[in-house]
Amino acid sequence: MRGMRDYWLSKLCFDLQDPARVAEYRGDRDAVLAHYPLKPEVRAAVVADDVGALARLTNPYLLRYYFAAAGMPDAEFITRLRASAPVDG
Amino acid sequence: MAELVGIFAASHGPLIARDWARLPDPLKQRLSAAYGELGRRIAAAEVDVIVGLAPDHWTNFFLDNLPALCIGVGDEHGGPPEPFMRDFAPNPIPGDPALGQHILATALAADFEPALSYRLRLDHGMCLPLSRLALSRMPRIVPILINELEPPMLSYRRCLAWGRLLRQAIASHAAPVRVAILATGGLSHSIGEPTMGAIDEAFDRRSLDAFARGEEGPLVDLLEHGAAHAGNGAHEIRNWAVAHGAAGSRGFELIDYIPAPEVYVGCAFAAWR
Repeated sequence: MRGMRDYWLSKLCFDLQDPARVAEYRGDRDAVLAHYPLKPEVRAAVVADDVGALARLTNPYLLRYYFAAAGMPDAEFITRLRASAPVDG
Repeated sequence: MAELVGIFAASHGPLIARDWARLPDPLKQRLSAAYGELGRRIAAAEVDVIVGLAPDHWTNFFLDNLPALCIGVGDEHGGPPEPFMRDFAPNPIPGDPALGQHILATALAADFEPALSYRLRLDHGMCLPLSRLALSRMPRIVPILINELEPPMLSYRRCLAWGRLLRQAIASHAAPVRVAILATGGLSHSIGEPTMGAIDEAFDRRSLDAFARGEEGPLVDLLEHGAAHAGNGAHEIRNWAVAHGAAGSRGFELIDYIPAPEVYVGCAFAAWR
């Protein structure tokens, strides 16, 4: 059984399937993050685009949605995933 | 009475829509031929209703509420929310409440516990294959969304049982409608994992061979032990297992298998006998 998911990080990823929310996020990341009571270390990982850290906290599909919304190309996302510690799926 | 006139399966992948213009021509031709062949067979069967077995890609459900299986009983369903599917038509998508409710009632009477929805949104998992079938007339859709993202997920043995139940429900539906089952998803693919982009062609071919031979025991053993190692997208083979159960575990005709790293998916297309 995989580990518990971080609910608010997952909710952020889920909500960023909405193109309007994506535009808002790209325009003012802090304003959007203010709506989510993320733990400090999770928020820091989001701000740092720390793919490996976030991969351990949410569902892989949601993770992909998040980094697509954040504007990271697939090739870079995959490279960073592979450089990080193995995660479950 | 309703008649089950065909059971089919087709892979999907968002890049088949989003990146279509950039895909190599030979790949586009093979994908188009495979989807087109399924579409030709569905059109020839004069299908009134498609029971669509599809995953939900975090479109309808979230960690707030994650049913293992949900039957869409609405008279219509919302179209795909993804921007790359914006041209999908018809939107909304007509449903078949009578058949949906009958499947629900049949399931409950047989000690199955599905969730239900009066309005689902059908994402690319259902709508990409529907669009690529190129049907001149879209049948009504009864979607059955099977959770393949996070636990709780059906066991493969339960998937076969769901398939048998589905066949029983369709056969006992009083309306004189022609029904097809279309399973979508799989085979191997990996999304948002370190193995993202990898296709396990050996596993895919073993799975297709097991489906073709039909025997349930070896198929369940292979899927229960192998699918989890073929990428998280391989969980979607559950939809194929439900279709297999509906077909009475008879073998199927493989229309094509296309391991397509360009779209991250081991793409397969089949029709059960």
